[in-house]
Amino acid sequence: MLVIVGVSHRTAPLPVRESLAFPREGLPAALARMRDEARVGEAMILSTCNRVELYGRALEPSDEDLAEFLPRFHGRSAEELRPYLYRFQGDEAVRHAFRVAASLDSMVLGESQILGQVKEAYQIAEKAGTLGASFIALRNRCLAAAKRTRTETGIGQNAVSVSYVAVELARKIFGELRDRAVLLVGAGKMSELAARHLVRGGARATVLGGRTFEKAEELAAALGGRAVPFELLREEMGPADIVISGTGAPGVVIRRADVEAALSARRHRPLFLIDIAVPRDVDPSVRDLDGVFLYDLDDLKSVAESNLRERRKQAAVAEALVEEEVREFLGWQKSLDVVPLLVELRRRGDEIRRAEIEKARKKLGPLTPEQEEALDSATAAIVNKLLHPPTVQIKEMAKNGHAPELVTLVRKLLGLS
Amino acid sequence: MSSSVYLLLTLALYAVGALHVFLHAMSRSRLLTSWTVTATLGGFVVHTAGLSQRWTEAGHFPAVGLRDGSSFLAWAIVLAFLMTYVRTREAVLSLAVHPVAFSLVLVANLTPASASADPILKSLYLPVHATLAFFGYGSLFVACAMGVLYLVQERELKSRSPRAFYYLAPSLERCDTLTARSLEVGFTFLTLAILTGLLWSHSARGRYWSGDPKEWSAVVAWLIYVGLIVARTRTGWGGRRSALLGIAAFVAVAFTFLWMTVLAGAANAVR
Repeated sequence: MLVIVGVSHRTAPLPVRESLAFPREGLPAALARMRDEARVGEAMILSTCNRVELYGRALEPSDEDLAEFLPRFHGRSAEELRPYLYRFQGDEAVRHAFRVAASLDSMVLGESQILGQVKEAYQIAEKAGTLGASFIALRNRCLAAAKRTRTETGIGQNAVSVSYVAVELARKIFGELRDRAVLLVGAGKMSELAARHLVRGGARATVLGGRTFEKAEELAAALGGRAVPFELLREEMGPADIVISGTGAPGVVIRRADVEAALSARRHRPLFLIDIAVPRDVDPSVRDLDGVFLYDLDDLKSVAESNLRERRKQAAVAEALVEEEVREFLGWQKSLDVVPLLVELRRRGDEIRRAEIEKARKKLGPLTPEQEEALDSATAAIVNKLLHPPTVQIKEMAKNGHAPELVTLVRKLLGLS
Repeated sequence: MSSSVYLLLTLALYAVGALHVFLHAMSRSRLLTSWTVTATLGGFVVHTAGLSQRWTEAGHFPAVGLRDGSSFLAWAIVLAFLMTYVRTREAVLSLAVHPVAFSLVLVANLTPASASADPILKSLYLPVHATLAFFGYGSLFVACAMGVLYLVQERELKSRSPRAFYYLAPSLERCDTLTARSLEVGFTFLTLAILTGLLWSHSARGRYWSGDPKEWSAVVAWLIYVGLIVARTRTGWGGRRSALLGIAAFVAVAFTFLWMTVLAGAANAVR
């Protein structure tokens, strides 16, 4: 049975999570210790900045060893950590594993890193030799379900950080970013971040330098673009598709007349202005100009917020999808419990059949090969037809969690040892 | 099976498609799932079979009168949508196409078939002219729908507080390109339709131009489209104005259709 013990951003503050984290290099050794000391059949450790979780296949259902192992490993007392720890077992643990991989339990809902982290955690465990058949099956279904939620729902879509929102808006205006011209006015941290995303999408950057031209040159080099003196603002705005302005200037840097001039040079193709300066750099009245999209810092934040609302909406769809996958996995897992019974049932049927054929043969005397085959297939058909409906039913009932009673009952009814 | 049974079946399948698209738009999941595509394709196949059946029943090409006209128009719009979808994978068009196709087939289901034995309908010009015209309608509808999406997306972006369509509609650039492409296709068909219409008129009545509203609106639409295409290729003119003009031209195109099917009697319309 799967048992998960851990702490996450939901239950524990950062200092606690830090103190329980497993460094990557130490994982193989920790996994080995976990398997031996906590007496689990299989082991996996997921350690990220937002969660530390131990996955174990407990050999006995009431085993509390895992919850004791985590504090002991880090030299902390179990008493002290009790309020932060959570423990899931059985179906609940499976559900939790699926939800974590699908980023439904993440701090930033729908973030995509967790999928890679989960994948890596299983990989390390596999290399350390603590992964068995049941964890491998769990991993495969978890990852497949997580991928399904990403492709079938929009949970991972719509940026929730300001610099990504700017890039997403640029995409909503221009579609492809390839060969779009980005003009940076002022070389701040946030403009740099947004510009990096844009350049990664294929855009070309130009940096307008201020008083310290070296800074502009440095940034231009980092972005693979060019630096030009500030006086060329008007000339450079003509070809620019996206202008990111973030100077520390006290007044307006980009005036309405500048934007109007740029627009006529652009023949009314849209112009995206991102003003991340406080106080603002761009004259807000340019907003009314046809083909101009001006976003200031507050606008970007409000888009990020509505994107997050959108993600929450998607999370409901994703939860339903994950639940469906969990049920399917649990059903499959439970049906495994009756496999030995079904094998035995088949074997017993065949035994009886063969014994009866032998008896019959003695009375029938020598048979032609055709007769031999007819006898064989007729008896096989009887056994198959008799066992087929109960086999199907047993599997079906096992999926609903009736395996233990079923095994006893069927054994008793059919006189299996 | 009579053509009205086919038509009813088509309605049911398009209804499934439209309902799916609506629900998916509400929940913002992928607009076209295999269900929706299957229902739409199935509807289209049944629709095609129904049209051919109707051709036999009516004894002339089924594009005359409100019933046949709206049914054929729905068919052409779905065809234009499927072609666009295959080439561009742009599912958002289904927001416009599915409700419109459903409504047109509904109208067709609710109107009685108009029987006309006018010999002019036996002319070979009817299938050629009507097919060209309706292919044109279909593509121009797609162009108009993309134009509307452009305006909606532009408004969302200008408003700086995104609502539903910000998430549903594609980028401005894409709306613009798709409008332009469907416009070129639609314009070609419209031109050919007008030419065959003139020839038909000449062969039936001995004159090319009789000056009825349908002819005028077709020419007005055609002129707006010429202006649009010239402005686009010559000056790189695009965006909002071209979306607005495209919509205006489509209104003129829609009038030719309305005149033919509703305002004038079935046989009169082609006379």
